[in-house]
Amino acid sequence: MSTQTSVINPTIGVPNEEVIVCRDVHLWYGDFEALRGVSLTVKRGDVIVILGPSGSGKSTFIRAINRLEEHQEGEIIVNGITLSHDVRNIAEIRREVGMVFQQFNLFPHLTVLENITLAPINVRKWSRERAEEIAMKWLTRVGIPEQAPKYPGQLSGGQQQRVAIARTLAMEPEVLLFDEPTSALDPEMVKEVLDVMSDLAREGYTIIAVTHEMGFARGVADRIVFMDYGEILEQDTPDEFFDNPKNDRLKLFLSQILHH
Amino acid sequence: MTAKTESFTQRLNESVTKRFNWQYFLQDNITGAWWLTLWVIVLALATAVYTGRQLSENPVSTIVVLIGWVVAMILVAIDGLHIWHSNVGSWLRRNLLSSVSNALISLLLLLIVIAGIISAWEWAVVNATFDPALTEPQYRTPDGATWGVIIGARDLLMVGRFPRESIGRVWIAALFFITLGGISLITKKIGLWDRNKIVRGILSVFWFISPFIVYILLAGVSAEGPFLNLQILLLGELVILATFALLVWQKVIKFSWLSLIGWAVIWPLAYVIWRAIGKSELFPPINVNLWGGLMLTLIIATAVILLSFPIGMVLALGRRSEVRGIPWWIIWPVTIIITLWGLSTSTTQILASARNTFEQIIAFWPLLLIVVAYILQRTFKGNVIAFASTAFIEFIRGVPLITLLFMAIIMAPFFMPEGLTLENIWAVILGYALFSAAYMAELIRGGLQALPRGQYDAADAIGLNTLQKMRFIILPQALRIVIPGIVGQFIGSFKSSSLVSIVGLFELLGIVRVIVANPQWLGLRKELYVFVGIIYFSGSFIMSWYSRRLEARLGVGQR
Repeated sequence: MSTQTSVINPTIGVPNEEVIVCRDVHLWYGDFEALRGVSLTVKRGDVIVILGPSGSGKSTFIRAINRLEEHQEGEIIVNGITLSHDVRNIAEIRREVGMVFQQFNLFPHLTVLENITLAPINVRKWSRERAEEIAMKWLTRVGIPEQAPKYPGQLSGGQQQRVAIARTLAMEPEVLLFDEPTSALDPEMVKEVLDVMSDLAREGYTIIAVTHEMGFARGVADRIVFMDYGEILEQDTPDEFFDNPKNDRLKLFLSQILHH
Repeated sequence: MTAKTESFTQRLNESVTKRFNWQYFLQDNITGAWWLTLWVIVLALATAVYTGRQLSENPVSTIVVLIGWVVAMILVAIDGLHIWHSNVGSWLRRNLLSSVSNALISLLLLLIVIAGIISAWEWAVVNATFDPALTEPQYRTPDGATWGVIIGARDLLMVGRFPRESIGRVWIAALFFITLGGISLITKKIGLWDRNKIVRGILSVFWFISPFIVYILLAGVSAEGPFLNLQILLLGELVILATFALLVWQKVIKFSWLSLIGWAVIWPLAYVIWRAIGKSELFPPINVNLWGGLMLTLIIATAVILLSFPIGMVLALGRRSEVRGIPWWIIWPVTIIITLWGLSTSTTQILASARNTFEQIIAFWPLLLIVVAYILQRTFKGNVIAFASTAFIEFIRGVPLITLLFMAIIMAPFFMPEGLTLENIWAVILGYALFSAAYMAELIRGGLQALPRGQYDAADAIGLNTLQKMRFIILPQALRIVIPGIVGQFIGSFKSSSLVSIVGLFELLGIVRVIVANPQWLGLRKELYVFVGIIYFSGSFIMSWYSRRLEARLGVGQR
């Protein structure tokens, strides 16, 4: 057992193994090339933050990792499985990769508990009792076990996002993708979500997060990736990234977001 | 006393001088514009003339209305002059008598409505006759209904030309549904339905087999019966086991060897039961083309509603399907080969016997295949499922229902295997269900598209497969959105089922025409149409009432 292995989630394997390998990924929407050869390697336990102006392809990129978008060229390998058209392949990867969305995307017609147990019961084929037990464990982890019987519409934005995180974690994924998880939240609720994310990072989850939270990026990330025009222009440790940017567009970007 | 009167006069004067301005009142109500003046004059004249006529025709009611109206006007005037406010006065002033023209319109409409009610009452009750034996013209009262026709022709209205000696079977069917419906309703109300699995299971099984029971009762089973055909036996078994596998895989039911055996024997068992019923000759066959009246309307409407919903759902999902398309390098060679084959066989043949230019052009129909292939490849990216669903929906929607019904009756025999005939009624139900399904599909598609994309994304991201995604996430939400539309479609199907009378089926409205052609009931249209109207209204009203309740119930937790 390595020191990094999580107490909460013993399924997390050997650290520093390559979990996600992207090689020269290209993705077109019709004639528009959203990703122009993105290559990125993520090791187990890494926390990667992707920064970039809007329309830079960062959301598209992490959505391509679990096949919510389909790339046309290049290779995406998750946990040794190459992403292809094969439905079983996609299903297997989606079991390993959890995703949290900007708009939470909870299912409004299901209770919080049902939201969380749906996939464990139907995809992992767990019994209802076991799924509910684990769901309650994760709800307790994100601090809102008392909300289990409510419907998403009755919760605040921050609570909804924490439910969404619990829903993702209940599937026991190896990798967590966060797609601007705090952008749709009221400012006072951002912290509660960021705290949960930081905890998960500390526990050894592999995380790729698209976010504009500079504090999170600087404090928690192992590596920050800067994307623009569908390309990765720079990737570095947080200190180097913020204090010593090399790319001109990154310099401009940083000056725009940090100077007001 | 004097003090009181004084204060009243004082207040009146005060109000009139300070708050009420005659000039403004006249300007607002009459003299403000030339068309307003004209309108008030016309309205006043019309009201006066109509009131005069009503005074001579219905003096009592008209005088009552007039007195009421004058009292209301006084109340409103007092209220308007700010002398004495009352709830009634304020309400009248706001809603009925807010201006001179509104006051006139209120009076006029009130008189018209009352006159209508009075004459309807007189026609339907006062001057009406109710004896079913006395419906011939010489017994009828001139301004009254002859309700005897409804009673006299009740069998025709209810079951059409259904053999009278077998009418008990209709009663059994009706009682079966009333009992089953009643029990289901009661168990639902007292919560037994939700609590007790066995009760729910038994009732569900009864509902499930109810179409077969209706068929056995109303159409009958012939003693010869279908011969035991190994092919059909195996095919049915295959379908049932595939359904079982699907349900187990989707975790709708739990797998156990017992249930597998249970499912496996359904088909042979059903066959044996069918034969036994046929052999017993308890329910000898009845010509289904004799069905008619309300019974036929209900059968057609129910069958169409029950069939169109699942077909529509499949079509909607099909049209939105995103399966990987057939690549162009398969589509084009195949198309070209088929086209060339068509050109070399069919075209040469038709050209050889063509008599005019039109037929010569028609001969080149295989070229249309290229157009189809082009659309399939360009618009649908080779997605055959989406292409077929879209083509089907657009074809059906582009054809009037009546054309479709005629097509169903005339063309169905061409598609039937040798030796089998399809009764008109089944062809009509099938054609009508497909018609309804096309519209249903578009409704449901609207619901599917109304869902935010995030719901699809989230369902994908947590690893649900397509079937699970649809069943747990998409359809429950999409269908809830389109409940009003679906129920509207159901009501439409129910009412439009009267169109089948055009192709020779005598449903409720069709049988009316048969009845009024009968010498003893000759020309009694009004009574029959009123009766039929009430039935249609009740059916439609129940459906829309239920849909409102359903919406309210499903609204739980909605954002």
